Amino acid sequence: MKKKGVAGYMDSEENEKPMLILKDIHKFYGTNEVLKGVSLEVKRGELVTFVGPSGCGKTTLLRLIGGFTDISSGDIILDGQRINDLPPNLRDTRICFQNYALFPHMTVAENVGYGLKINKWPKGKTAARVRELLEMVELEAFGDRMIDKLSGGQQQRVAFARALSLEPKVLLLDEPLSNLDANLRLVMREEIRKLQERLHITTVFVTHDQFEAMAISDRLVVMKDGRIEQVGSPIDIYEKPANEFIAGFVGYVNFMDGRIVSIEEKTRDAVIATEYGKIGITLQQDDINHGDDVLMVIRPESVNISLDCGGSRQNVLCGSLKTYMYAGSIAKCTVTIGDRTMIIDQYNPRDAQHFKHAEKVEVEIPRSVHLLKKKK
Amino acid sequence: MATAELSLKLQASSGSKIKDFINANLINILAALLFLLLAFFLLYPIIAVLLKSFRGPSGFTLKYYQAFFSKNYYFQSLYNTLLLGVINTVVCLVIGFCLAYMTTRGPWILRKPLKIIALVPLIAPPYLFALSLIILFGRNGLVTRMFDLHWQLYGFGGVVISQTLAFIPLAYMMIESTLMSLNPNLEESAYDMGASEATILRTITIPLLAPGLLKAALLIFVMTIAEFGNAAILGGRTPFLAPDTYTMITGESDFNMGSVLSVVLIAPCILIFFIHNYLLEGKTFTTIGGKPVASEPRKITPLIKVPFVIITTVAAGAIFICFAVVFAASFYKILGVTNKFILTNYLDFTSNQAIYNSIRVSFVAAVIGAIIGVLLAYVIVRGKFFGRTFIEMVSLSGFALPGTVLGIGYLLAFSAPPLKLTGGIMILALNCVFRFLAVGVEAGISKLHQIHIEIEEASADLGASFLTTFSRIVLPIMFPAFIAGFIYTFMTAIVSLSAVVFLVSPGFELAAVKIFDAAVYGEIGIASATTMKLVLIVMICMMILNYISNKTRLGSGIAKKPA
Repeated sequence: MKKKGVAGYMDSEENEKPMLILKDIHKFYGTNEVLKGVSLEVKRGELVTFVGPSGCGKTTLLRLIGGFTDISSGDIILDGQRINDLPPNLRDTRICFQNYALFPHMTVAENVGYGLKINKWPKGKTAARVRELLEMVELEAFGDRMIDKLSGGQQQRVAFARALSLEPKVLLLDEPLSNLDANLRLVMREEIRKLQERLHITTVFVTHDQFEAMAISDRLVVMKDGRIEQVGSPIDIYEKPANEFIAGFVGYVNFMDGRIVSIEEKTRDAVIATEYGKIGITLQQDDINHGDDVLMVIRPESVNISLDCGGSRQNVLCGSLKTYMYAGSIAKCTVTIGDRTMIIDQYNPRDAQHFKHAEKVEVEIPRSVHLLKKKK
Repeated sequence: MATAELSLKLQASSGSKIKDFINANLINILAALLFLLLAFFLLYPIIAVLLKSFRGPSGFTLKYYQAFFSKNYYFQSLYNTLLLGVINTVVCLVIGFCLAYMTTRGPWILRKPLKIIALVPLIAPPYLFALSLIILFGRNGLVTRMFDLHWQLYGFGGVVISQTLAFIPLAYMMIESTLMSLNPNLEESAYDMGASEATILRTITIPLLAPGLLKAALLIFVMTIAEFGNAAILGGRTPFLAPDTYTMITGESDFNMGSVLSVVLIAPCILIFFIHNYLLEGKTFTTIGGKPVASEPRKITPLIKVPFVIITTVAAGAIFICFAVVFAASFYKILGVTNKFILTNYLDFTSNQAIYNSIRVSFVAAVIGAIIGVLLAYVIVRGKFFGRTFIEMVSLSGFALPGTVLGIGYLLAFSAPPLKLTGGIMILALNCVFRFLAVGVEAGISKLHQIHIEIEEASADLGASFLTTFSRIVLPIMFPAFIAGFIYTFMTAIVSLSAVVFLVSPGFELAAVKIFDAAVYGEIGIASATTMKLVLIVMICMMILNYISNKTRLGSGIAKKPA
């Protein structure tokens, strides 16, 4: 795995030991298998996000780590200790639920201090710690408020502070931002990330929002139907998806069939034959060979679109512009090439005027396109 | 129809001004008619009781109240009734909580069976438990004879036990619904922060449940002190208000004293009804909604588990034994005394006649009750007239009123012209209609809250008049509520005893009264067989109700808020 994202977790021998290891975890509800063998290692201080469509098992996995659900088979190892059979109150993990689960009959300070009180911290020490936590989430003036007198974002911070109060080894966040409105979600996401990096706390984040996942994580774990589809940095997942599902899940994508007809070994330049002509690319992958049937993964923003459709240059396809929707920073185009429709994002659409009335356009496929090998 | 007018509301479709007025005010006219019905059949009888308690042979007097508060016997009756209410409420809450906790937090395999047992008493008339206690522990009871015991079942203890068993389902249902509405993540968060099971219960579950528990307690208290059958059958020489009222009327024909007893009984009921519906309204802790999930079973510590399991097992066992005993007793003349297996109890003519009468009365009551219920619900939810809350309050109050009070009230109000109803089937049916109106109205209200007013507005917008909208849109959507109101009224009416016991005329006996008489006169076999027949009828009703509510849950999704 390449090192990407935040640095700082590769300092010493001790720190290279993973904080959390999931070993071949299976979970059945009756006869329904919701997790079908999940294995993963989470490094110290890393923020890993489980992402996937609803019903993929990501929340179940989080609840298993937290101890709220029994696992059917497999092992959960936290900081070198097997914790399969420990109940939540004896595990060094803390969870933030999607609905925050703040105790409505207690004040903010009582909520944050609940775990400290349960763990019999002396009063003075508890008060100091609560103050410190509230300062951390910038709610120091709100300690005496009742929960229902707080805004959604403030409640989110209280939940966060409460979960951090006992300095857990792993912080579990279950869709923490899904109850906030769009703008606040962006703000809170940055705050959580900043705090997580500052405290260097190992964090497992669950979301169904792929963009949120990409923005916040060191690594993404894309799940589907109880299995891990791909683990990687946001860039890896977006640029080098392992299959069609992932390519489509993390953003819009155009697929195009083709076959490798030549590979230049030194430069890794290759030519793909498609029904619309030959496309030249520079191979990024090692597992593609001459004669392979491939699927080209073409992101809408990676394609250049231009007016008129004159000479035949390489990688340029001619198509007709079906729709052109100008939206300020971006224009969304649909172009039909043969019987195929492509979605293309045009950034900085200065000459929108001309495109509005255009019929024929040129579409340039980039050389860096990612390929999926078709199964034979 | 002009399209330009379509965006206007109801008025748009009609031409003339009178039609316009009627159309626009139909809902108010309907409300006024319904209010008249309520006033006549619910308020008037109660007022009649109140007046009777103050009216002596020579006008207004307080002497009956003086008599009540100066005679030790009456004080004892009041004291017993209230004490019974308190004990019963506490015991029912504890048992109900244990059962509800186990069915919402306990192991999966236990949840369903426990829930069934907790709800089973619902299919029984409440006096089934009195009957089974007589069979087991009465003077000739199975257990009494087997161990040659010399105890006294008839009295305070017997009433407490039978009442408790009878009110377990109510307690269970109310507590279970509050427990279910409690976001399981709250308890899980506490668990996650290191709290043990007992600490979670003490610091999170019970404090959050407190408003719900208080509501349940108030309701159980009211129902207990008003309950007639168990106290009348098992009370023996111990006085309780509800059965005393009955003896006062039927035994001594003292309507004045009977009315005083009723007023004394009604006072706490009305007080609590107000506290319950208006002071505690909305007094629940709200939390941010997430996905509602069933609580996963937790590893319950023995400290909690052992007492919970003991309480649940004892309660469940007792309920089961009571049913089994009555079932068995229905095949003997007197179980334990005569040992010949017979089927004649089921063939008894007077019993079957009574069942037939009960079905007739209940059917009439159910039809009228369901119709009035749906109309009232509509008027309450959609109406915008002055006094809307008052109508709602009155229509829901029948439930909180002790049955004996409405029994006397009907006797006082409708036994002489202008409206002489006594002696017929109608007085029984109407009594049931207005006593049990609350359920039909509640069902209708909750159904209506699921329907957006926009649906009706859309209909009006397309040019439909109020009546068209009501008959083509509202009624079809309300139909499940109508059916639910119908069945509920039917099965409540068929087992109800406390009011009709005053109103039956010789020669027209009802099943519940037949059981009561048979139990009192020691005809255990007949009483048991008649009870089993009622149980069967109620069971069938429940199954239909269940089927309908499962069916319509799919349908109601459409009417709900779009996500």
